[in-house]
Amino acid sequence: MNILSAKNLNKSYGSIQAVENLTLEIVQGEFLGFLGPNGAGKTTTIRMLTGMLPPDSGEITIAGLSSDRKTDIARSIGVVPESRGFYDWMTAEEYLIFFARLYDIADCKKTTNNLLDQVRLSDRKNSKIGTYSRGMKQRLALARALINNPKILFLDEPTLGLDPQGQEDIQKFLQNLNRQGVTILFSSHLLPEVSALCSRIVIINHGRLIASGTISELQQQVHRQESSLKDIFFLLTKNND
Amino acid sequence: MNNIKGIVAIILLFGGFFFAQAAFAKNVSGSDSLDITILSARNLNGIAGDYITIVGQITNHTKKPISDITTYLSMVDTENKLPVDLEDWSAEKGLYIGSIDAEQTLPLKWKIHFVKAGTYTLAVIANIAEQEKPIASSLTRFEVKPKKNLNPGQVLPVALGMPMLLLAFMAILQYRRSVKVSA
Amino acid sequence: MIKFIWLKEVREELYTWKSTVWLLVASLLFSFTSYLLLTNKELSLLDQTELLWLLSKIIIGVGLLIVTIDASSTLAGEFEKDTAESLFLAPITPYEVVWGKIFYVVTLWLFVFLVSAPYILVTSASTHLTGAFLSYALLLGTLAVFGFSMLISAISLLFRSSKNTLSTALIILLALAVPALFSSTLKTNSVAELFGKINPIEAIFASLDNVLVDYHMRLPQNMQYLIPLLVFCAVAFAVLMISIRQFKRRGIVKDE
Repeated sequence: MNILSAKNLNKSYGSIQAVENLTLEIVQGEFLGFLGPNGAGKTTTIRMLTGMLPPDSGEITIAGLSSDRKTDIARSIGVVPESRGFYDWMTAEEYLIFFARLYDIADCKKTTNNLLDQVRLSDRKNSKIGTYSRGMKQRLALARALINNPKILFLDEPTLGLDPQGQEDIQKFLQNLNRQGVTILFSSHLLPEVSALCSRIVIINHGRLIASGTISELQQQVHRQESSLKDIFFLLTKNND
Repeated sequence: MNNIKGIVAIILLFGGFFFAQAAFAKNVSGSDSLDITILSARNLNGIAGDYITIVGQITNHTKKPISDITTYLSMVDTENKLPVDLEDWSAEKGLYIGSIDAEQTLPLKWKIHFVKAGTYTLAVIANIAEQEKPIASSLTRFEVKPKKNLNPGQVLPVALGMPMLLLAFMAILQYRRSVKVSA
Repeated sequence: MIKFIWLKEVREELYTWKSTVWLLVASLLFSFTSYLLLTNKELSLLDQTELLWLLSKIIIGVGLLIVTIDASSTLAGEFEKDTAESLFLAPITPYEVVWGKIFYVVTLWLFVFLVSAPYILVTSASTHLTGAFLSYALLLGTLAVFGFSMLISAISLLFRSSKNTLSTALIILLALAVPALFSSTLKTNSVAELFGKINPIEAIFASLDNVLVDYHMRLPQNMQYLIPLLVFCAVAFAVLMISIRQFKRRGIVKDE
């Protein structure tokens, strides 16, 4: 059963066509890797899917809700966006409680503390976010995205700039979430990470979908059975240039 | 420019004064026809904001009445060498004396409000309808000291207290925040 | 939702010192001016009514300046600090975010007014004008701040930059305030007269003059001045609604 369905999405910025006729479907429980070179239209697509940017044309349905029901969709999704600004003057606990209230969560404090435990920020929950390291901020962004117990999680390069330990922490956390039934759309440039985590991969270039499938399906598509995701990615994106 | 104006003002005032004296001496042979004296000269000093009364007298030394006399105050700021606009000082305008009998003395009173601290020179000038030239009293010098009231209208507790209160509020707020937020 | 945004703003302004510093600056200005005014009054260089009118102008002027500066960064700051995306990803509408911010700006004005109240009490002591001074300063100031905060929010959504918003808002404030400070002798032609009639800041000063100098304290006696203010608020509301609609059409994230 599809939890997300996007049909013929188009978005242009002036004369630049950022996304062109993109059709995408995500099955419930899937861990989808969303790949593409810089400027391929990944962030624009994620922004359209999450309601941050209206498409020029096309249809989006998330969890059975059409895209015009923005607030209802917002209650079903969690997003770690590309731009990760925080209220630096708040503590992590205050930050999550603020968002929990916006989501109308019944027991804000309990939910917040559970999430802080999960992302291992409990010991620093009373510190100002401004004093956090990049990794801690990433984990906090993840906690905020999970505050409403979303059905689908959109992650736009969540491990960007993290050290290997930080990356692994997030990966394990995401795997665990996916096992619990959360659908994940995962955008990253770290291809080994994507191949380790994702059950299916979608590659876009110049705003167009160029490939979709499991790693073995992608290998068949490029006729190279032993190729790594990195090789497949290079082959597909070069052919498409 | 102001200095020049001041000097001209002083010359005019003092010149007027001496000229009036000379004219008067010329008009009445042997004795003054009219004499103006400032009686409160010693009590004139005060503090800015004070209301004081300038008391003087005008005496007719002649054997016949003199009518249509108007007396004025004239003042110069001696420090700044500028004439003083007495309207600001709430000084009443000229005192009109319909007629003064032979050898009669009449009191002159002006209520004046000391507006600005400084050193001033004051003279009373009288215009007599029958005479071409005015006459003037002797010059009286006095000092207005600055107002030392630090709390006009009881404003000081509010003017100082409110910023202090806000500073205290900021300090308490910061303290409470620092207790709650760990480093 | 509006309440949570409002509460977040109040806490942010208090914890980041922004508002408290503004309030301190306002209180120092009020201290300085009320002291000078009362000293002059004591020397009889100033009538009591003139003193109150000057103080009321200063309170409204300082209040408007503070809220203009603060409001310019309240909404635009969300875009500049990259917090807007996370905020709007929550189930909250742009209307709720904007109204939460506007109510915060009005709250800031109410704090400025609260700080000014002791100065009003002390300067209007021994007159029958204290109640009228407090009521009209509150009424006129709140209406003006409400109108300005709506207008500034509309500009913020358009520019999404506090620098651009602030400079535009200050130009508007100056354009309205400067003619209000001209003496009536300069307003001889019909255009200036018309502008004077619709200028909300001029209406505030005229109403305060009407209350504090001419003792016309009843509301119907000041309706002619309240109407331009209400019209200003209505226009600002319309501009804000258009701006929010435009904002929704363009998307929370600005086109790149």
